[in-house]
Amino acid sequence: MTDLIVRPDGRPSVPERSPESRPDQPIKHDTRMPLENTLAEQLITTQAPQRPQSTPRIRIEVDGRLVEGLEGQTILEVCRDNGIEIPTLCYEPKLPGFGACRMCVVEVEGEEHPPISCSRAAEPEMKVQTQTEEIRRLRRTNLELIFSDHNAYCLPPCQNKCPSHIDIPGFLKQNAEGNFRESTRIFKRTIPFPSVLGRVCPAPCEDHCRRDEVDEAIAIRDSHRYAGDQVIKAMLDEGIDPPLPFEVQSKTGRRVAIIGSGPAGMAAAYYLLINGHDVTIYERDPAPGGMLRYGIPQYRLPKIEVLEAEYESVTRLGGKMVCNQGLGRDFTLDDLQFQGYDAVLIAIGCYETNKLGVPGEDAAEVLDGLEYLRTATLGLPYPGHKGKRVVVVGGGFTSMDCSRTSIRQGASEVTLVYRRDMKDMPASNEVHEAIEEGVTAIFQAGPTRVITDAKGNVTGIEFIRMVPGEPDASGRRRPEPAPGTEFTIPCDRVLLAIGQGPELDWIGPGSQGPKATKNRRLQADAVTFETGRPGVFATGDVRVGAATVVQAIAEGRRAAYAANAFLRGQDLGALKTRQTLAEPQPEFLSIVPFTAERKEPRYRLKALEAEVRNKSYVEYEIPYSKEEIVAESTRCLQCTCEAIGFCDLRRLGIEYGTTLKTLEPDNNQGAGYRSVTENRFTGVNHDYIRDDSHAFILREPSRCIDCGRCATVCAEVVGAACYDFMRIGFDTLVTTPLDMSLNDTPCVSCGRCAETCPTGALMPKPRVLQKFEVNESTCILCGICVDACPYDALRDGGEFELASASREDPEVDLMALAAIDRETEVTYIRKERDWLQRAIEAGRFIDEGRLLPVLPPSLTSGNGSGNGNGHGHAAGGGQPGGGQPGAHIHPK
Amino acid sequence: MTAILKTPAAWPAILLRREGETGGETARDPKRRAAAAGAAGPAFDGLRRSVRELGSRGTIALLAEAGLRGRGGGGFPTADKWRAAANAEAPAKYVVANGYGADPSSLTDRTIVEREPDAVVEGVAIAAWTIGAEEAIIAVRAGSTDAIAALQGAIDAALSRGELGDDALATGRRLVVEVRTVQGAYMLGEETVLLKALDGRRGQPEQRPPHPSTTGYRGMPTVVQNVQTLASAAWILRNGAAAFRATGTAETPGTILVQVAGNEQGGVAEVPFGTPLGDIVKLAGGVGAGRSIKAVLVGGPSGGILPADRLSTPYTFEALRLLGAHVGSGSIMVADDRACVVDLARVLTRFCADEACGKTIPCRIGTARLAEIGERMSAGTSRAGDVQLATDLADDIVGSGLCDHERLATLPLMSGLRYFGPEVAAHVERGECPAGVCRPIHFAASAPTAPQPTMAS
Repeated sequence: MTDLIVRPDGRPSVPERSPESRPDQPIKHDTRMPLENTLAEQLITTQAPQRPQSTPRIRIEVDGRLVEGLEGQTILEVCRDNGIEIPTLCYEPKLPGFGACRMCVVEVEGEEHPPISCSRAAEPEMKVQTQTEEIRRLRRTNLELIFSDHNAYCLPPCQNKCPSHIDIPGFLKQNAEGNFRESTRIFKRTIPFPSVLGRVCPAPCEDHCRRDEVDEAIAIRDSHRYAGDQVIKAMLDEGIDPPLPFEVQSKTGRRVAIIGSGPAGMAAAYYLLINGHDVTIYERDPAPGGMLRYGIPQYRLPKIEVLEAEYESVTRLGGKMVCNQGLGRDFTLDDLQFQGYDAVLIAIGCYETNKLGVPGEDAAEVLDGLEYLRTATLGLPYPGHKGKRVVVVGGGFTSMDCSRTSIRQGASEVTLVYRRDMKDMPASNEVHEAIEEGVTAIFQAGPTRVITDAKGNVTGIEFIRMVPGEPDASGRRRPEPAPGTEFTIPCDRVLLAIGQGPELDWIGPGSQGPKATKNRRLQADAVTFETGRPGVFATGDVRVGAATVVQAIAEGRRAAYAANAFLRGQDLGALKTRQTLAEPQPEFLSIVPFTAERKEPRYRLKALEAEVRNKSYVEYEIPYSKEEIVAESTRCLQCTCEAIGFCDLRRLGIEYGTTLKTLEPDNNQGAGYRSVTENRFTGVNHDYIRDDSHAFILREPSRCIDCGRCATVCAEVVGAACYDFMRIGFDTLVTTPLDMSLNDTPCVSCGRCAETCPTGALMPKPRVLQKFEVNESTCILCGICVDACPYDALRDGGEFELASASREDPEVDLMALAAIDRETEVTYIRKERDWLQRAIEAGRFIDEGRLLPVLPPSLTSGNGSGNGNGHGHAAGGGQPGGGQPGAHIHPK
Repeated sequence: MTAILKTPAAWPAILLRREGETGGETARDPKRRAAAAGAAGPAFDGLRRSVRELGSRGTIALLAEAGLRGRGGGGFPTADKWRAAANAEAPAKYVVANGYGADPSSLTDRTIVEREPDAVVEGVAIAAWTIGAEEAIIAVRAGSTDAIAALQGAIDAALSRGELGDDALATGRRLVVEVRTVQGAYMLGEETVLLKALDGRRGQPEQRPPHPSTTGYRGMPTVVQNVQTLASAAWILRNGAAAFRATGTAETPGTILVQVAGNEQGGVAEVPFGTPLGDIVKLAGGVGAGRSIKAVLVGGPSGGILPADRLSTPYTFEALRLLGAHVGSGSIMVADDRACVVDLARVLTRFCADEACGKTIPCRIGTARLAEIGERMSAGTSRAGDVQLATDLADDIVGSGLCDHERLATLPLMSGLRYFGPEVAAHVERGECPAGVCRPIHFAASAPTAPQPTMAS
């Protein structure tokens, strides 16, 4: 009989029965060395068994379905082979189940405790349930426990804070590389109008930029403005279509009417068109744009050059625009549905200015701020504004636009009065510019009455001082009047800009169904955007009240996804989960320390001088140059988790609802966030230091979930054993021996640990491999080369790899080279990032082209580069005179 | 040397010989041992009977008839374990005797190893013969020098008598017993952890099945038994199943060593299974005069805290599990009326959390969160819903746990909540410790805290 399996040492796998032994006696086993401690033996015992095709088949029942597997397979393997997904975190398909994460628990009929499917062999007739309520609860608890000690973040704070959750580090990175078209494409995934937003967005992202901790926040808004402008320029000058964020779906034949062409309506139109629906936009005014056109002055948003150019991306997708058609005035909802529209989106915004509620406000010269702006943005001077003393009441963007437009229209005196402090002002970042232009701003004062003379003309307005009281729902302290502090500002005209509500008088016969809320908004669900009437959705300011443009666009986009689901006949109830999945989860805010960055303050947009711009309606900010935009975008610290997109923990967290809550209406309209460690188990958590020492692998132990995959893979597949569990109890961590730097372990830089890591705890370093050049004078021809040159003969350089080496390079200052290495702790082939600067400061001469220290010119002058050429040991044209030093950097 | 508590004369002595009989102090002195062994007639009669009369199947049948169950805490039928290992086909098999005694407060395993090493070694030899193992390991704590010396003495004596060795009992079969010292942590009480420690790997448990009886030490079929179980097996072989069944209860015949700690004295005692808890507590004198028993901690650090009115409970695996306690390390500690149950549960849960090996999520983070909830209760800083949270978390830890450590680590807090609801409520709702042990933050009734859920009783 031949043995099918021969062990590596030549012994057969089954002990031999010697001829003289009796069959009734036990076989004499060689028990002294049952397993030899060779690598081959280890591989046999640790690697998952290879099963031949002829393995008998078994059938088990999974979730009521009969599935077939091979004998010896685990439940998990059988399920995955049959397309049944069981979540895992610690399971590595190459290795036997480990059983640490407890995510793959399943219910097996007749067992007390649910077994884990990665270790449990499937047995015939087994009845398995993978998704029962109890099993899902166990998994959810596990995830919550993991998150409670996951001291990390997914999205950067800027992206958290953006109501639309734009991938800010993503587009800044493209900007930094000069790919403005790709940058715009990334931007358009969440907001279709980068140039418009680049001018009018209050940029909540910038308030939370972590670069602020180094020097100054990144100019995020100005950066996408530049990228968007480039796309517009290419479209207008060269006829290149703007980039599309997603592939346009084939036509569905469904028709959608969108009422209102403001930011919400147009964003919804854009994404509905991409989803393949026919879209018609109804606008009551003569031209599209809504508040963007009639609320925001020309000097902030040029209408033709920017607004119309960006709106063209909607019409280029096939959107039809019908102007001068107002809901309730020219048509009703019934009319639209008679015309065969499958869905209607109401995005009519907020146009009714709130009343002051004080005596005298009905006087003729007390004007609605929006009405005033509307006339102004139509290019008409408002009658009788020149020479008037104007008081603007309010602290939002409308009040700012009113004041600054008033200056431009020649008002003799413009006073802005706001009832809270400046820091609580919604438009606080613009108020400086207004003051520069000549506006007088008074804070913490509220109007008590408008003073009129006998003819009814306004002569002044009386205010009372406000003192901050208890914090209100917005977190700001509620202003309370201080009696006896009344004062009067004499004036001729009052502009009210104290907030707006939607016009809802169209609700009625012909447009029944939608209802108003108690706060005078149109009632619609926060996720499905359904109003009371089937097929009619409401989005934007009309739903949430007057908000920023970026909030309106976020609303519009999400409403588009809801309407799309409706048009495609999907379950709107299930949409809540699905849309939440599609939405970035803005809850992860705890932040790791950043590495030391060179201080480099923000590149500011230059503005026209205040005396010039306060007379002009021309856009007053001077855009970046290309150099400036690249430099500014490069300043981004890229705070995003490198593992985002392939982090299993995040995916499961979203799937199991342990990181939700963000789209709840009460949670700051979707812009709220919470730290990842905040859940019912929140307690002590670990804050580990990032190990940045390795050239290729980045270790972020705070993101480690102790699944042990890296340890097993490294020890049993690679054989290097760089990682293992350290310490016990809650402080257990999978780390290097004695927490040493990964660089000091026997790491072979294979990257398998980073590949297997289910989270971002081990990641390939975001590093572009440099070209190399070899210094043959120190090369010992060991062949390890790029892995780790023990003599540092192989290093970053500007030349082609191994192409232009010279055996004799009289230029290189070997003493300096050694000194630099000592001073900058060379690790593998990587030096500390500021080594060059330090070397220059130390008075060394550096060949910039090759980044090598060279001898001072005084020593090398007249000393030719010798037989530099022709000695390169690899093929591939060495540059003539390969050893020639480039431009030398001299110490200052 | 631990004090041996005097038990009523009517109680059987299976594991520890009584005062006056050979054993005890004699065991540690090789010369006196040898003399005693000679005087007591041929040693290892049980082994001889197993090898020469019963054979593998007969021995397993006898143990099954005797109803012997594991004394390590789990109570798994010994015969089933041995049968699985005996039937497994493998190039090698092993027997591992667990004399580690993980619970630092319980010296039961150490006591039997020190006082009756011969019975332990004989039991190990019987197990090895029965399943077909040639090598057996007795794992003991590295620091317990007395136990190591006693075991080594017993093994040497057996070797010299030819009961162990390359030609054990002149059958031509090799049988080697080795004493291995392990130094480690509480988790070594878990059998898969012990096996990995013996194998020189990190002490983390493995998912069962496969059980060690099919895949154990070095991946081979291994019988892991507590030393008391093995000593009991040797006794059964010597005295028969019927004699064994005469003690204890029908489900769990025989006796077990318990470590009783009262207020005034404490020590190890051999008690028959089924003895009421109150009788065991009395062996150590209870809490002494002038005090009353408030609670009994049964099962060591991961044990259950039972109230005084449960003292009539019989000491069996099933009865204790039903109450939310367990046999565990055989430890029984008495708390008098000055003790605070919340504080006790907090200390125990923290111990279990700190001793976790850190492999699984429910254990590494879950037990730590449980300990934090206990600490919040004790400090008077409970959050709204903490009691419900602890209960839910404990349920989920039990549901998705890998080994018994994490499942049992929930017992102190859960039994505390179950039996001492009003005391816990005083901590959680009013920030008061009725026993005056904890120093919780007192807060006024008007403080802005959410209403707490009512206690489960």
